Amino acid sequence: MQKEEYQVVGKPVERTDGRVKATGKARYAGDLIAPGMLYGKILRSPVAHAKILNIDTSEAKKLPGVIAVITGKDFPGIPFGTRPDTRDQTPMPITKVHHFGEGVAAVAALDEDTAEEALDLIRVEYEELPVVLTAEDALRPDAPLVNEFCSSNIAYTSDFRFGDPEAGFKEADYIREEKFSSQRVAVGFIEPHACLAEVDATGRVLLQGSKQSPYPTWRHMCRALDLPLSKMRLVTPFVGGAFSGKHDPFDVDFAAVKLAQITNRPVKIVLNYDEVLAGYRQRNAMNAVLKMGVKKNGRITALKAECILEGGPIAGIGPFNIYFFGAWLNLPYKVPAVEYHGKLVYSNRAPCGTVRGQEIVLAQYSVDSLLGIVAEDLGIDQVEIRALNAITSNYTTANGVVVDACGLSECIEKSAATIAWKESRKSRPKGRGIGFSCASHPSGVRLGGHFGSSVLLKLQEDGKVMLTHGGTEIGQGANTVFCQMAAEILGIPFEDVIQGPSDSDTAILDSGMFSDRCTYWDGNATIAAANDLKRQLAELAAKKLQAKPEDLEFKNSRVYAKDKPEKSISILDPVRTAYYDNGTPLYGKGYWAATDIDLVNWKTGSGNLAHGIDFIATAVEMDVDLKTGQASLRKGVSGDDAGQPIHPVMLEGQVNGGSAHMTGHALLEECLYDERGRMLNYSWRDYKQPTALDTPEYVVDHIHTHDPYGPFGAKGAGEASSCSTIAAIANGIYDAVGVRITDLPITPEKIIREMKKKEGK
Amino acid sequence: MFIRRLPKFEYHAPASLPEALDLLALYGADAKLLAGGTDLLLAMKKRTKTPAHVINLKSIPGLSGISGDAKGLKIGALTTMADIMRSALVKETYTPLWDAVSVMGSPQVRTLATLGGNLVSAVPSADTAPPLIVLSAQAHLTGPSGERTCPVEALFSAPSTCSLAPTDILTHITIPFPQGKGAYLKLMRRAALDLALVGVAAYFCLDANKVCTHAKIALGAVAPTPIRATASEAIIEGKVLNAALAAEAGSASGKECFPITDLRSSLEYRCSMVEVLTERALLEALKRSN
Repeated sequence: MQKEEYQVVGKPVERTDGRVKATGKARYAGDLIAPGMLYGKILRSPVAHAKILNIDTSEAKKLPGVIAVITGKDFPGIPFGTRPDTRDQTPMPITKVHHFGEGVAAVAALDEDTAEEALDLIRVEYEELPVVLTAEDALRPDAPLVNEFCSSNIAYTSDFRFGDPEAGFKEADYIREEKFSSQRVAVGFIEPHACLAEVDATGRVLLQGSKQSPYPTWRHMCRALDLPLSKMRLVTPFVGGAFSGKHDPFDVDFAAVKLAQITNRPVKIVLNYDEVLAGYRQRNAMNAVLKMGVKKNGRITALKAECILEGGPIAGIGPFNIYFFGAWLNLPYKVPAVEYHGKLVYSNRAPCGTVRGQEIVLAQYSVDSLLGIVAEDLGIDQVEIRALNAITSNYTTANGVVVDACGLSECIEKSAATIAWKESRKSRPKGRGIGFSCASHPSGVRLGGHFGSSVLLKLQEDGKVMLTHGGTEIGQGANTVFCQMAAEILGIPFEDVIQGPSDSDTAILDSGMFSDRCTYWDGNATIAAANDLKRQLAELAAKKLQAKPEDLEFKNSRVYAKDKPEKSISILDPVRTAYYDNGTPLYGKGYWAATDIDLVNWKTGSGNLAHGIDFIATAVEMDVDLKTGQASLRKGVSGDDAGQPIHPVMLEGQVNGGSAHMTGHALLEECLYDERGRMLNYSWRDYKQPTALDTPEYVVDHIHTHDPYGPFGAKGAGEASSCSTIAAIANGIYDAVGVRITDLPITPEKIIREMKKKEGK
Repeated sequence: MFIRRLPKFEYHAPASLPEALDLLALYGADAKLLAGGTDLLLAMKKRTKTPAHVINLKSIPGLSGISGDAKGLKIGALTTMADIMRSALVKETYTPLWDAVSVMGSPQVRTLATLGGNLVSAVPSADTAPPLIVLSAQAHLTGPSGERTCPVEALFSAPSTCSLAPTDILTHITIPFPQGKGAYLKLMRRAALDLALVGVAAYFCLDANKVCTHAKIALGAVAPTPIRATASEAIIEGKVLNAALAAEAGSASGKECFPITDLRSSLEYRCSMVEVLTERALLEALKRSN
């Protein structure tokens, strides 16, 4: 396809939220104030697993300034969950606590100090139960049951078989099996959970919270609060990052609403970050065994994997996690046969959601580490083995995913050239290494029939367009790219498109901000809405220009008759006709859903789950201190195929951000628990996220492809680099010092221990 | 369990040192002195410290500032880490202290945190302690019975326990003008914003024959208090330092420490890192001497 010349798309315009955030004027949930507002605080369990024998709130209620105290019993007792078959949680616990830091009661008071004082007066009688901490604990025959809604500690399973794995391994010249494990990590957004809940005179609830995906929040909350959907409105203020940690409703949201219902006053709850680290979403711990068969030249013939994810006391979005791990054995390399057995198990650690890249991160880490090992065993060049196996355009994977446009081979070539791989093989300082990894990510999977995106454009009488969409701006830049797309289609400046509020009363909420779907799905809906508006304008303009509506062009805020550039009118002309002559408003409506792809079977893994598979090849150069084992990353290079970049600077930020984020997962971060399931390092002092100084100099090479289904040929972009970074670092450490750490995080201590072992010490 | 809002306390802002001493004498163990507050306020929010009275020293003039002459350096107890980091004199002449301050906390924390606070908080990983010990710094204290001095080395009695009497106030630190050179190296899990897993300060003078004299090595974060590595010092004292001798001294200092295994690191790793950092600190000091 011929490359189009865009006016706004592909240009680094100023972010719609840049100025307001940079000047500190953006209002986040914690900044909101309502008249008569009360302050809520949550009492948290000091134990990880216990029966709740009794909660006595009487003394707390007597404290002057306390307006209400609630426990799990104040809710209707209706369980909710991500899937109909995984409804395994209630707003607050009723019969037992499941993890350290779980909210067991909440207080609303006139001020924060009183609310905190009231927490001290609540008496909870616990009967401690043995804890399930690891996957091994969970699967023991005599293991205590974690979740009261489930008669087993196995929350979900997926078992795949694609192609002929036995034949694939038989055909292989070399087979290598390896164990990989990954730790619990925190999500890492900046803004802690916060919300303000209000109830109006009709009983209608307004929740303004720091939510990533208002739709599941809305649905789950209405279900568990026994409210019709129309009785709840969600308005999302600025959100300080989410990274998959803010999809579903938490006790914070439920408690604020319930306290507002009881007190008939607005209630705000803002958490401290230590509460977030101890009691809210983390990434699943993983134990996986992978077996890869290859021909002599390194071509993969079969892949088998067993993976157990330990995900805390609720299933949450875990069923997708366990499916994703299996699905991403099929990508980004050509694997003709795949066998997979995945289990998600319950435990008494903090509930998991996932983190940027979902559990594709763990699958790609395992696959690419194993490919790196195989290449080393066979003496094949690390770049060559990846280029040999890389998926190419118009390829269908063993599990049925159709890859349309794929620039992975170019990504590999480019990253290898930029990091100077060939030169490094000739000579390099001791302790210096380069690691590679490739990865891919979907542009929005279709997890259910209700998945869809819609956009509404209101063209005002002054010619400015107000855009509302059902997605959420969580820092990823969604609002900016949709304004770009609408401006491009309508031929008006970017500044003439104004981002409207995120409000369930005006927008049709879409399924949520995950799996790189927003730019792609809502982007297509934006294009549809802009075309709808353009069609209406064209009809009005056609009369004036004495041309057919379909022969009109919109550019530079003017409408032209095609091939007659001297004949044009300002775009304001038809707008004024509509408003001032005809009295008709101008709305553009658009929606998009990938209904031509499959609703995947999570249990068997079959189906074409997404369009717009994006690809990346990442190379990381590092120095490992031979005596301390500390890895210092020097350079991180990614060849990135996100289709047509809509905003190249934000895209670069996404690629580098994902890489920096997963540098923590690879090297530093780990949620530590004691033997009774109490988290030990729930502070930013003891939980180590990388700082800017821990990340390398980054280079992103955009590999332009044109996705046939994506808006302007774009694909999703936010998560591929998080999927490629960990294996690149692990492979680089091996290249630097010759030791292979397969249990994350790769700490200096582990490196030194393995180096000593290798030297026979 | 979790961080809370500050508990209730009575706040005092004495205008002079005698006034502060009177308040201390009156409230004794019920009172805490507030300097930068980066340790105290957090401890209060965690309820590990709940003083009924908080006495803010920042309202007293003259407790902060850096001044130096041919005899040495004087640093007020309330001098912030940021002030020390900005001092060309400290960087040039009292380099191990500058090394320590420049890798502490974040710019925001350094702007609040004070030298006196870092010392009297007495955490085993206090970064300023090892360099001050090797630089033979003296702590100047004022109490009900007047002024006295005590070597910084003697300030610490146990983790988070300082040997000051509850009625004493640390007013300033003095450091004799160093005749030699030194260095402080800190091992962290990440490149910034981190506590020391191991901190090592080394200092010595070189005579005309390049022989080491007045050798001092101090270790942080690897014992209940900052400690001297005297066996290691003895190895280089009176000898010409080279790579082999530095390694030997490192190996000795690894045996002198007695760290614990905790969240941040294992005992074994800390011991072997004491060896590595001691060796490297000695070689860095040697480089700076030449």
